[in-house]
Amino acid sequence: MSSIKEQFNQISPSEFFYRNRDLAGFSNPSRSLYTAVREFVENGLDACDQRGILPDIRLTIKAVDPDKPDPKPYILTVKDNGPGIESKHIPLAFGVVLYGSKFGLKQARGMFGLGATMAILYGQITINKPVTIKSSTDGKISDEFELLLDIQKNKPVILKHKTKEVSKKGLSISIFLEGDYSKAGSKIRDYVYQTSLITPYASITFEDPKGEKYHYPRMINTMPKPPTIIRPHPYGVDVETIRRMIVESQFAIPTIDDAMIEKVRKDLGLSKKNFSFTAIMDKARKRWKTLSRQVRVAIALMSFLKMDFEKLNKIRIEDVDVPNKKLVYWDFGDSTSKSVDMDPESQYYKQLANTVQGETLIAFLTKKFQRVGPTTAVKFAKFAGFKPEKRIGTMTNAELAKLSDSLQKFGDFMSPDSSCLAPLGDIPLEKGMRTFFNPDFITVIQRNASAYSGFPFIVEMGIAYGGDITTRGIKVYRFANRIPLLYDEGSDVVLKVVNDIDWSRYKAKGDPPLVIVSHVCSTRIPYKTAGKENVADRPEIERELKLSIQFIARKLSVFMNKRGQAEAAKKRANLYAKYVPLIAQFCTELAGKKKEPNFQKILQEEKPIENE
Amino acid sequence: MSKKSESKTKALSKKAQEKQKDILEMLKSHGAKIYDDLDNGQFPKFSIPSRSVSNIVYDKKIRQYILGNATALRSSKNTSQLRSFTQLTWLAFFANRLTIEKKSSTLRDIYYSSQAFEIDFEDQGESDSIIVDLEAVTLRAREDFHIFPEERSSIFGDLNIEYTIPGYEGKTMNLSNHPDGYAIGPSLTTAELVDTSAEIVIAIEKGGLFTRFVEEQIDKKFKAIIINTGGQAPRSTRTLLKRLHDEMKLPVVILTDGDVYGEHIAMVIKSGSANAAHLRELTVPDAKWVGVWATDIEKYKLPTIPMTESDIKRCRDLQKDPRYQDGIWKKELDVFLRIKRKAELEAFSKYGLTNITEKYLPQKLELAKSL
Repeated sequence: MSSIKEQFNQISPSEFFYRNRDLAGFSNPSRSLYTAVREFVENGLDACDQRGILPDIRLTIKAVDPDKPDPKPYILTVKDNGPGIESKHIPLAFGVVLYGSKFGLKQARGMFGLGATMAILYGQITINKPVTIKSSTDGKISDEFELLLDIQKNKPVILKHKTKEVSKKGLSISIFLEGDYSKAGSKIRDYVYQTSLITPYASITFEDPKGEKYHYPRMINTMPKPPTIIRPHPYGVDVETIRRMIVESQFAIPTIDDAMIEKVRKDLGLSKKNFSFTAIMDKARKRWKTLSRQVRVAIALMSFLKMDFEKLNKIRIEDVDVPNKKLVYWDFGDSTSKSVDMDPESQYYKQLANTVQGETLIAFLTKKFQRVGPTTAVKFAKFAGFKPEKRIGTMTNAELAKLSDSLQKFGDFMSPDSSCLAPLGDIPLEKGMRTFFNPDFITVIQRNASAYSGFPFIVEMGIAYGGDITTRGIKVYRFANRIPLLYDEGSDVVLKVVNDIDWSRYKAKGDPPLVIVSHVCSTRIPYKTAGKENVADRPEIERELKLSIQFIARKLSVFMNKRGQAEAAKKRANLYAKYVPLIAQFCTELAGKKKEPNFQKILQEEKPIENE
Repeated sequence: MSKKSESKTKALSKKAQEKQKDILEMLKSHGAKIYDDLDNGQFPKFSIPSRSVSNIVYDKKIRQYILGNATALRSSKNTSQLRSFTQLTWLAFFANRLTIEKKSSTLRDIYYSSQAFEIDFEDQGESDSIIVDLEAVTLRAREDFHIFPEERSSIFGDLNIEYTIPGYEGKTMNLSNHPDGYAIGPSLTTAELVDTSAEIVIAIEKGGLFTRFVEEQIDKKFKAIIINTGGQAPRSTRTLLKRLHDEMKLPVVILTDGDVYGEHIAMVIKSGSANAAHLRELTVPDAKWVGVWATDIEKYKLPTIPMTESDIKRCRDLQKDPRYQDGIWKKELDVFLRIKRKAELEAFSKYGLTNITEKYLPQKLELAKSL
């Protein structure tokens, strides 16, 4: 991990941010306010989901000076009842760009936890006020931080830190930022409304700058099954991901510092007295089998350096170049970089090589990917043109590219595991829609998991008719990984599929009051644009959506048929009941009779058959 | 009252009574059929001659529009017909009352009366249309059921009549006694036409000119009965014109504005309208349109106004009508279309107020003899 951090440190985060602010959704005050709301709310929901806590999210937006015209400074506060973040992690979690806990492969709303830091950074750049974070992990003590980001050093600066007694767990984050609520308001309200629809197990409250309160109470008390973190599927990885996986699989060369030296001494059973280099090596040989990998590596390094503990203290190892058999170190004594050759025949060299070069390709494939067994791995190695025992640490860039390319092309991998997905489930979806629309008719469907290019996905869909739905025509609410998609509706594959349906075939003629809720969940949603507001039309996804819609539309048409017949029968009966007695009355006099004819017979026959 | 006229009155009232009996029996049979259907647990229905455009044909022999053979079934089971079925039953019921009690009603009156019976006619147009349905089903004119249009036409001239309506039976009247003329209503159309010294009937389209004709004693000068049709002649007026022609053997001439609508007013008196294709006895096939013709506009150099778009369209529509395929009807229509101008009867005032009565009318009446 340390080497990754060093790479990131070399990019100035503020420069990175400025280059990517459009991409990240911070292009103007209106969009930025909306994006910041989303990032914080989604972080809160994710945090609760991961611990199986029924979320209670409170969102507040306040104008610093309500009389000023937009755009103007706002205070955005989002409070959740999640697990909180441990005190020592808070400055890093919110004060460093690219620090996050979401690197595993499973479905979550946000990716990498980047957005929240972006929002904080945006706030700081526009208003230059610290972010306030209050967190309690035990429900007793709350740690309250005021932080600024040191943009140059990508480091948090703690302005204040105090603790307070509280009665609830959870995290609250509050930032100042330049926003435009008059423009962003309706989108934010839509966002909160729709988020509540797709998160029926959450309670969400939103207080807007005008003091209006929007409260969406919890509709069900059961959490959907949480997703499990799983290994990636071979189809779903690119070169960069493979590179990162390889680095993670290697054992880092331990830093030889005081603590390490102390550990080696202790493990070798040597007292604090100074021992000669040969004495140390003798002792090590005898105890080799009991030694840990870390200590073995330290011994191996020492064997080439030919140094005792005292000397070892005065250098820093810079590079272990296994292919060139060179060991490079920095000598503090005379402030120069020196190198020693390593004997490739030595057992110590093999120890280092194993550590640095990593596992064999077969071990890598079977351990790091889902649903790849040894047989498949061997078959793949042959297909890709690698020796099965090839060390992955020794791969050149060209070989990595070939590996990645072959992973995509190899046809014998099993389809991806969907246990990493967290669909909402048909019952919560129906319950949410029922509460929201109080419809005359509702049906939902959850399709089985399917996959596109190595990414598993599940489509859930519901349709509601009538009731509190007053809009004419079909209103489609689109969701991806429990996030409402509000922009770019026209180019979305869901809309395309809905519009391709001949609704009159399903007895939904004219402009019926219909609501369709579509939820696609996947470890990676194929968004069409960087704005992440529309799902691209991958054939596999389109097919699942189509099957879902056809299913719910068929159910709808059965309902509409029955309803149409019942309505027509009722209408007929009403007409007969109104007019037949009149006809009877007039014809009695016309026919010169006294008593009216018995017209009840035909009225009885035409009585509507009650709905079962 | 002479003995002769007394016996005539008796004969008359006997005839009227028989007619009334006929109608009542016919209505009763319709009522009984509906009654029996209901009592047998069946939805009542009846067939009605179709009045759709495709079923209105021109009969050259009797020189009027008649209904073809197509019929439509009207069933109370069909919910889209149920309302009109009920309305029609009500109308028969109401007409039955009117006939028994010898009371008259106007079209408008029918519309308002319906409201007392929860028969929801949307407007008079709808009730008028149901009245036409009743005529079509029974093949009787609405006047037979004592239903009359609003009176707007009038008559003046030396004609003795004898009323047959209840309360006035046997009472006589000379129609030149009142200079404003007499409204042509149910009492007049049902009255017996006793005698007249007139030799011709002049029907005029307009009330203004009717008054002028009375003032100038056209009735005396030309031995004429003058009738104001008030635009398109109502059925009562056409009935009266027919009776004057048939019973008193008087020729009928028609004087209208010099435009396409005037020409058609004359045509409807002569050969009926498509609206009343289900009825006979409303036409005067020998009636003559004497003016104002399109050719008169040129001949008499009348002041004119240009024809409107709708005038021209009306001309073109009438060109397709089988009755406008020959004679003056075709000729004048063609001239109207050529000159694209029209003139009103009042246009003659340009040459003095009496010009029309002293110059134009005599010439036209002379000409009429040769038509």
